[in-house]
Amino acid sequence: MTAAVLTTGDPSGSPEHAPAGAPAQAGSRLRGLRRLPLTVWLSIAVLLLVLAFSLAPGLFTSADPAVGVPDRKFTPPGWQYLLGTDHLGRDLLSRIIHGSASSMTSALIAVAIGVLVGGAIGLVAGYAGGWADAVLGRLVDVLLAIPSFLLAVVVVTALGYDTRNAAIATGVSAVAVFARLMRAEVLRVRTSVFIEAARLNGGSDAYILIRHVLPNAVRPVLSLAVLQFGLAILTIAGLAFLGYGDPPPASDWGLLVADGREHLLHAPWLVIAPGLVIAIVVLSVSRLSRFIDTERNR
Amino acid sequence: MIALKRVGQAVLVIALAYVLVFLVLAAIPGDPVSAQLENPQAGYSEAEKAQIRSFYGLDKPVLVQLLISIGNALRGDLGISLSTSAPVSSTIGEAIPSTLALAATALVFALLIALILGFASQSLGEGRLGGLVRSLPTVFLSTPNFLIGLVLIQVFAVQLGAFSIIDPETAGSTAFAALTLAIPVSAQIAQVFITALDTTTALDHTEVALSRGLAPVRVFARHLLRPSLLPTVTVCGLVVGELLGGSLITETIFGRAGIGTVVQKAVTSQDVPVLQAAVVLSAAVFVGVNLVIDLVLPLLDPRLRAPREAS
Amino acid sequence: MTSADTDTRPDAGSTTAGDTEHGTAPLLTVEHLRVTYGERAAAREVVRDVSFSVPAGSTLALIGESGSGKSTIARAVLRLLERRGARVEGSVRLRGREISRLREHALRPLRGRVLGFVPQDPGSALNPVRTIGSQALEAAALVPEARSRAAREALVREGLERAGLTDPERIAASYPHQLSGGQLQRVLIALAIIPGPALLVADEPTSALDVTVQKQILDLLTSLQDELGIGLLLITHDLALAAERSQQVVVLSGGTIQEAGPTAEVFAHPRSEYTRRLQADVPGLHPDRFADLRAARDLGEGGGAPPATAPRVTARDITRTFRSTGGHEIRALHGVSFSIARGTTHALVGESGSGKTTAARALLGLERLDAGALEVDGRTVDPSDPRALRALRRDLQLVHQNPFTSLDPRFTVGRIVREPLDMYRVGDAAAREERVSWALAAVRLDEELLGRRPTALSGGQRQRVAIARALVLRPEVLVLDEPTSALDVTVQAGILEVLVRLQKDLGLTYLFISHDLGVVRQVADTLTVLRRGEVVEEGEAVRVFADPQHEYTQRLLASIPAHVAGAERTTRTQSTGSTGSTASTPGDGILEATA
Repeated sequence: MTAAVLTTGDPSGSPEHAPAGAPAQAGSRLRGLRRLPLTVWLSIAVLLLVLAFSLAPGLFTSADPAVGVPDRKFTPPGWQYLLGTDHLGRDLLSRIIHGSASSMTSALIAVAIGVLVGGAIGLVAGYAGGWADAVLGRLVDVLLAIPSFLLAVVVVTALGYDTRNAAIATGVSAVAVFARLMRAEVLRVRTSVFIEAARLNGGSDAYILIRHVLPNAVRPVLSLAVLQFGLAILTIAGLAFLGYGDPPPASDWGLLVADGREHLLHAPWLVIAPGLVIAIVVLSVSRLSRFIDTERNR
Repeated sequence: MIALKRVGQAVLVIALAYVLVFLVLAAIPGDPVSAQLENPQAGYSEAEKAQIRSFYGLDKPVLVQLLISIGNALRGDLGISLSTSAPVSSTIGEAIPSTLALAATALVFALLIALILGFASQSLGEGRLGGLVRSLPTVFLSTPNFLIGLVLIQVFAVQLGAFSIIDPETAGSTAFAALTLAIPVSAQIAQVFITALDTTTALDHTEVALSRGLAPVRVFARHLLRPSLLPTVTVCGLVVGELLGGSLITETIFGRAGIGTVVQKAVTSQDVPVLQAAVVLSAAVFVGVNLVIDLVLPLLDPRLRAPREAS
Repeated sequence: MTSADTDTRPDAGSTTAGDTEHGTAPLLTVEHLRVTYGERAAAREVVRDVSFSVPAGSTLALIGESGSGKSTIARAVLRLLERRGARVEGSVRLRGREISRLREHALRPLRGRVLGFVPQDPGSALNPVRTIGSQALEAAALVPEARSRAAREALVREGLERAGLTDPERIAASYPHQLSGGQLQRVLIALAIIPGPALLVADEPTSALDVTVQKQILDLLTSLQDELGIGLLLITHDLALAAERSQQVVVLSGGTIQEAGPTAEVFAHPRSEYTRRLQADVPGLHPDRFADLRAARDLGEGGGAPPATAPRVTARDITRTFRSTGGHEIRALHGVSFSIARGTTHALVGESGSGKTTAARALLGLERLDAGALEVDGRTVDPSDPRALRALRRDLQLVHQNPFTSLDPRFTVGRIVREPLDMYRVGDAAAREERVSWALAAVRLDEELLGRRPTALSGGQRQRVAIARALVLRPEVLVLDEPTSALDVTVQAGILEVLVRLQKDLGLTYLFISHDLGVVRQVADTLTVLRRGEVVEEGEAVRVFADPQHEYTQRLLASIPAHVAGAERTTRTQSTGSTGSTASTPGDGILEATA
């Protein structure tokens, strides 16, 4: 969704003097870890927590996400129910925790599709050039031209409404962005002087592509992948919000917001709590992505 | 010459988008017409069924349908809605003004927010406040727009009564809907703008201009702002896609009858011709806006004008 | 280094001729300057206790290599450091007035009007989206007398003309990208002198330019200085340049003053170890530095004379024409011939756009020829035959100009040097390790570096790694494409010595591409001078340097600032007729792009 936002840096570094007597790699990496900014630590903590929610929801809540206590419906957040209950008296916190696995997996699927398909297209287009580049380039142009959320809607409509398909649709809508970045990176790396040096040293095309071009082109793409993970959570939540994900017994985060919408007037926490959870998780991912990016440019 | 080539490419992309969307939508299992025809209670005879199918062109192979559809589209005939039987062009046409008003207002808001954030990022420096301003775009981008919309409604419509949720086309409602749409979009513009300002600040020429004794305000306006606007204008073209895609959720939340709502309804009723037209229209708007920006950029940046002479 | 004050200030009056206007007070006085980046534990002190002064109408050169803090000092004087987050302590006085604590609004009247700045890289020092004229008008607006637009335009015209730009109207209407580097540097000088400053701070004003253009720009600065009585603070890495153009020098290293004093004295009797080493490493000052090593080479039958055996490399009438986007034809090479005898060094000398790099690339089969032939040991270089090229490249290797881009940042040093062995399947793993160790030893790199990545190395170390990679296959011929132009002089001297020694030990043949005649004189046996793709002069290096025949060669030679200036200033030749400098032909772009 936001390739234009990403800045790619020059990995070769500035032609200033190299750090005189630079410390060995491992040492500097360790010291770097200790100096992580507080916000990065917080982001990591949030993501680890969500990961734990996804893997073992039972550890964090004993309430059944699907069964409610009718007497207790619309209980505002309090000690017994930290985030309150919904119109069936179900514990909202439990529903959020149990919904995280689905939300995380689908975002992962979406990013995997984007990276693999988009990366492959970009790699071939950038390295082969000529006709392949022209044809793939037009395909990417077309995919970019269709607003990505609309594209996701169209694809999920064609595939049928469930969360897995929403994930696939989100992945398809991200293909173009990855393809474009990968192509640009491959072109940048391909024309660099060290590639010419490798060719002069007798390296074959396949060797150069795999050993030199790919490793140098892939890092910005990975940093984009982290960012896109956050955006995929948003897109999938949006699709779920419009009702293109799994139907109600499920507790995908977007669906929770959509469910709560009807009760916005008298039970705003039903909208705000899951919405904030999405925002916090996506914010953590974005922070991490930006951190990776600035570290890389260093 | 170059302009003509660009126009040609744009037309090609729109045409390919048409084909792509058509093929994807052809994969939808079933359609509303067949569903209705096969309904035993409707009691159509086989002959009637065949006639109705052929009226909608549903009896031919997909590729033939595609060719017919393209032929019709070239003559300005976008087909007939499968769910309402109204011409697609009028269904879409009626929805355009609402979405246009929403998207245009949102773009203005987004630009304002981005400009304010950009100026703030430069004047506040590296301190805590500056850091806060610089992290705002990320926060904006991370917040789901349905959350923003629902909170705005809850606070401003329900509690403060600043606008009515009953009549979505009032100026007040439009403004808040536009704000909902604008916040994530402003984040994208602001990120590019701030980065461009930082890059330009680091360039020699701003330093040299400063050393020449220019007032800092002038250095900002003439040496910092103008070069930084170039990438910012480019990203404004790219966010058109976000504006159109985001209108789907925003219109649903605010109950507006725009393109987003048309798409929503078409998706629910599997109304392929309407969906097709709406999506291709969005793509055409995106391509068109970016084409214009492409052609206008050389006016802002002399380096893009002539064929390059020096490296 | 407090000795700096005591050294410079008493001398200031005696060595400067034009220091009468302002009596004894120097134009600029810097005392105990200290610049720090970062906070507390992470604080880096880049300038430590630096003091000097510049009398009116005279030139003081700040000399140092990269990282010496010389540019930081320039920016501290110009008060441009605060916006970069640096902490500046000490005193900077301009005409006796303390400016280091002035607030920006109080400082602004001094900027431009008293304190002018000529920046380093002319390509990035002008706003790319505005015309030269509109930027020059900003400078003209600083002159209080120029109230009307017409008056300001007149000032701009006068300034551009004064800076040696013969067609001021056209220049003013141009955008920066439409002008050549030399023209841009003249524009920047014009912009700096329009408001009539008393002091010009020039930060490496010529290092981005071709040598002949360099000389024109320096002559221009010198003549303007005479004409307008401007004091000049000249920042440079080029010792010879400082020797020729300054009355006072301050030698810096690691942010501290190593030595300071009248230029003639410092160069005649350098007292600090660092200055001695720096001076010894300037190629232009020591043409015979490697003479002994080179004489020890075994060139077949007796002594230094080139042998009569078949040449290792031959180029016959090689021709290559590029077509620019505008449809012009640019001759990168036109009927160029040369040959290189076994074990010797042949230099291709020229400025940007001369075709020297195209020739080198053609020899490696990276560039197609339109006509003519290249042979290595009787084997014709044919870019259309990949197998023959592959075989040829075992014996023919390239060292690229810029070691910051020629090494894969993700490979370790060991893997970089071993790569050619892996590709050509030379020996087994153990044999390859041994070869790698040998190559590292040959370029005098510690084996400790094997596991490092290029980003953890200095420029000199990187270039040694690049040479080791080129050596590891034991080729017969090395093509050296400006192998030291991205490096500091002391680093350059080390690399050149390694190259000369390798030639002696291994009998290598070098094709040495360079624009630096000082370096060429140190290492080349024979040379070809190229201009715009054609041979201007060729022959044995000794002969060409002693007795250049062609006017262009003479000009190139004249532009090496070679003399250790005595107390007298060298004759100031005002830049004559050829003021347009190198015109920006479309060809320059293409050739530079392939360089």
